[in-house]
Amino acid sequence: MASQDRLKTPLLRVEGLSVSYGPNQVVRDVSFELGRGKSLALIGESGSGKSTIARAVLRLLPARGHATGRVEFDGQEVLSLPERHFRSLRGRSVGFVPQDPGNALNPVRTIGVQAQEAAALLDEPNHAVRKALILDVFAQVGLDNPQRVYDSYPHQLSGGMLQRVLIGLAVLPRPALLVADEPTSALDVTIQKRILDLLSQLQADLGISLLLITHDLAIAAERTDALVVLKGGVVQEAGRTAEVFASPSTAYARKLYADVPSLNPNRYAALRDPGLKRADDAAAPKIEFSGITKTFTVDGRTLTAVDNVSFTVPAGTTHALVGESGSGKTTAIRLLMGLDQPDQGHITVAGLTLSDRTPTTLREAWRHLQLVYQNPFTSLDPTWKVESLVREPLDRFRIGTPAERNDRVREALASVGLAEHLLSRKPAALSGGQRQRVAIARALVLKPDVIVLDEPTSALDVSVQADIVEVLLSLQAKLGLTYVFVSHDLALVRQLAHSVSVMHRGRIVEHGRVADIFDNPREAYTRALLEAIPSGIGARVRPVTSAQISTRIEEVA
Amino acid sequence: MRNAYLNYAGKRLLQAAVVVLLAYVFTFLVVSILPGDPITNVLHDPQNAFTMAQIQEIIEAQGLNDPVALQLWHALSGFVTGDLGLSMRSSRPVATLISEVLPSTLILASSALAVALVLAGLIAYGSQFLPRRFGQGFVRSLPSLFLSVPTFVIGLVLIHLFGFQLGLFMVIDPNSFWATVFASIALGIPISAQIAEVLVANLDNESAQEYAAVARARGLRQTPLFFRHFLKPSALPVVTVVALMVGEVLGGALITETVFGRTGIGNLVQRSVVTQDLPVLQAVVSLAAMVFVLVNLIADLVYPLLDPRVKILGATAVRSSASTSDTASPTVTV
Amino acid sequence: MTISLASALSRKRLHAPFAALGIPPSVALAFIILALVIGWSLVPGLFSGHDPFVGVPADKLQAPSIAHWFGTDQLGRDLYARVVHGTASSVSSALIAVVIGLFVGGLIGLLAGFLGGWVDIIFARLVDVLLAIPSFLLAVIVVTALGFDTINAAIATGVSAVAVFARVMRSEVIKTRQATFVEASFLSGGSRWHILLRHVLPNASRSVLPLAVLRFGLSILVIAGLAFLGYGDPPPASDWGLLISIGKDYMKWPWLIYAPAIAIIATVLSLNRISRWLRKTD
Repeated sequence: MASQDRLKTPLLRVEGLSVSYGPNQVVRDVSFELGRGKSLALIGESGSGKSTIARAVLRLLPARGHATGRVEFDGQEVLSLPERHFRSLRGRSVGFVPQDPGNALNPVRTIGVQAQEAAALLDEPNHAVRKALILDVFAQVGLDNPQRVYDSYPHQLSGGMLQRVLIGLAVLPRPALLVADEPTSALDVTIQKRILDLLSQLQADLGISLLLITHDLAIAAERTDALVVLKGGVVQEAGRTAEVFASPSTAYARKLYADVPSLNPNRYAALRDPGLKRADDAAAPKIEFSGITKTFTVDGRTLTAVDNVSFTVPAGTTHALVGESGSGKTTAIRLLMGLDQPDQGHITVAGLTLSDRTPTTLREAWRHLQLVYQNPFTSLDPTWKVESLVREPLDRFRIGTPAERNDRVREALASVGLAEHLLSRKPAALSGGQRQRVAIARALVLKPDVIVLDEPTSALDVSVQADIVEVLLSLQAKLGLTYVFVSHDLALVRQLAHSVSVMHRGRIVEHGRVADIFDNPREAYTRALLEAIPSGIGARVRPVTSAQISTRIEEVA
Repeated sequence: MRNAYLNYAGKRLLQAAVVVLLAYVFTFLVVSILPGDPITNVLHDPQNAFTMAQIQEIIEAQGLNDPVALQLWHALSGFVTGDLGLSMRSSRPVATLISEVLPSTLILASSALAVALVLAGLIAYGSQFLPRRFGQGFVRSLPSLFLSVPTFVIGLVLIHLFGFQLGLFMVIDPNSFWATVFASIALGIPISAQIAEVLVANLDNESAQEYAAVARARGLRQTPLFFRHFLKPSALPVVTVVALMVGEVLGGALITETVFGRTGIGNLVQRSVVTQDLPVLQAVVSLAAMVFVLVNLIADLVYPLLDPRVKILGATAVRSSASTSDTASPTVTV
Repeated sequence: MTISLASALSRKRLHAPFAALGIPPSVALAFIILALVIGWSLVPGLFSGHDPFVGVPADKLQAPSIAHWFGTDQLGRDLYARVVHGTASSVSSALIAVVIGLFVGGLIGLLAGFLGGWVDIIFARLVDVLLAIPSFLLAVIVVTALGFDTINAAIATGVSAVAVFARVMRSEVIKTRQATFVEASFLSGGSRWHILLRHVLPNASRSVLPLAVLRFGLSILVIAGLAFLGYGDPPPASDWGLLISIGKDYMKWPWLIYAPAIAIIATVLSLNRISRWLRKTD
């Protein structure tokens, strides 16, 4: 009777949870329930308190953090539980999958040693049996050579493999609840999909409840039963995923929904489509990148970073370079900027040949060719004020009189939507989105023909990303700018680019107009990238339970 | 990998040899080029009562009339073959003078280092395990305090409290057991501060790492977490720091030996400075540089073997993941 | 209860202006001590009524009292006056040492880190050599070669600090040189010298400043050590290290050691605290 009652109560119930760091309250009165075998997503942007909630549930808040309210796990209040009693739950009943697998294992200890710590929760006295169980769970999470992984140090494995190890260690003691804090945001897109598939699979196979913390609404929609939308530590909206998704009731949830590129491929069609006509007019390309090869020597081995890559970009259009880490896209744009010299091939930008120039003669080209970096937190000198930062190119190229320069700085800032009172701020006093706007203004102030954008939104929240994309597109429509847009995010590319080259291991595997590539991908790799885009509620992933895998642990034990 | 390591070791050895030779040349140039002429001062000092013939003899023996370059060449070739020359004061071989007092300094230095390591370990442990309300802040401020007290003040305070007030040891017998213990403490305390600073900073850094939270989520307690996870990555850089402290220990020995009236290298330096006995000073400084370079060479060669993250590329060992860089704590650059 | 309340109140009153600036109480205290020390060294006469050089033999070796805050020495001179009047040379010589280390070392590190290539190799070896010689021994031989007085001790201490500044500056410059914003300035048409002076130097200096404050404290210790060994100005000068050196012969009257020692410790501790705070707030 009692056990039946227990089964009726939700596995995890959070009620009126508030968390504060000193005087700052970062989570305010949050409540939600997670049923047995169900999944729930906590969604929000940076600063929404979603990770803090996860840590509060696990009681892993830093010493300064103070949590009030109730967190019931399996009917038992755990916030007030003495650490001694809670420790028996942590790990054994509640598993944790962290955000960045690269930092989640001790770098100077082997995987095996750390796996044995997790295995210590199994009540299995025999070391060899524990090891067999570990190797088995490694195989279960899709690691090819469990013994080699067992003997490795963390830095010898890739991020995807490490995340598999961590998931394996988290599910090894067969917990009832798995808390996954942005488990894929540090990984490449195709790996992301496989890890999410693995989590869904394990959840179904082992009957685990999943608390998924994510910033990605599409992932949440695809993978979870219920969701809680957070902003500034306060719940904005909560409910069954399908319902919230079909009719978001709050403005914030609606905006969040609208800002996800994969759910709104044609959001900027009005701004984007005029360029399509120009894209067909290939008579006088603004950028010609032909037959470029670049090799590096690392550790005595020769690495071909860019292998016979060619593309052209017509004036006034956006060309996207898409690929995962190591695909050579960053090297390609460094070559395009003239920051590296190609071994072979020919580059012209706006009629100027770049590929045989020295840094001094390149200065002329940079008046017409500017770069916006990926990370606005490192691309702006922290000791400079916004005004000087944006003004620097004008000063260095000696353009106009000082008064004219002042006007152009203000003009550039206005065109990226920054108010004048920010002129005297230093980067540290700006938000990430504001910083990237400053970086764009700096590129814009020279009135260049071509702006190269190196993942300009990947360090930013999705709503900030939407704002930046809008700024970029309206500038293109107004000024006829030509963009080279580097990204790993195909959904984003679809929103804003006219043509695209898909890069893989230094080569272009497929290129053409965006619509063609998305509708009829010819290469398997392109298809894999497209499939990795979480597509929301329609493509709900529900793997078949494979009873065979779940019984393997019993067999070994 | 093995080959790369041997290659690395060979290059580092060569660099070390070059640095030692250059250190010798540098010291030589400092004493011979800088204004002031200690040599003639000494020789003509009426207290020394050298006759003109004796002065001439010493000048001949030391080759003081030769051009600086030639003097340097003689001295350097002597240094390379192990001949450190003659003391200007006593005309005895410098090597003999040094070897007479070396054991006393070695005892002091090694016990001071032991004191420093134990103290640093205790401070590091306290910084992590003492309750925040009860003494953790105090323990954490100890390194800063230790770094602010001159070595000779620590020595004098110890002599005053334990020698004068408690009568535990007599200042007249500086080589007694207790005198050695307190001298080691006086010398060890400032050294411990620098080791402890690095250790505490590393421990704090490690325990703030994501992997610590993940290990806690795996059910690990604070104590095994400390010993199994934090200690090794935090203590590894201490190998380098301790090696760098060798210079401090030798410099500190100079003062400590004077305060406690011990014989030793420091005391020899002190006497040689007062009498401006340059050959002795030159030899001690060059040997100190040699010891420093040697110890650091060993530390650099051992480090890649201890830390799995360190990769050897060409002549440098590179850490594959970033560690805390502390502007106050020195780390070796190759 | 009342005591703790009173102290809390006085603390509040004392640190209210500092709290507004976001300065923690211990740092505020450090600044107050430093201001006092600067006052002692600039206008010592304002802080002590006694003559530091002429004593009253009848009053010799008196314990600290209201009349003589730190007691009197073996010649009946007021120890507080001697400590206050010794501040100028103890502190200003440390300042000279830091300035030498900062400028010579900083320049070496800046050029080595920024120019790279052969310049870097040569400077890096030079710095290795300077680092290899224990800094106190280096200071000792330099002061021996120059002759014993406080200014020479300061120069010697500065020379021994060159290597540390050069190394930190070099690594900071290399770190900054590789920063994205430096490349961004390059793309904005910035020349090498523009980048060096306007981007690399200001950023690299941000971590060299706390180091300079820290070395200021350490230099006070080193110069006190040299004075203690008798390599500074001879008596009747009253450098803090020299005062302690004299005091060690009068152990029965321990304030002769403790008073100047506390002056040294309080000053250096304050500088350490400020350095740490600068490093953290940056």
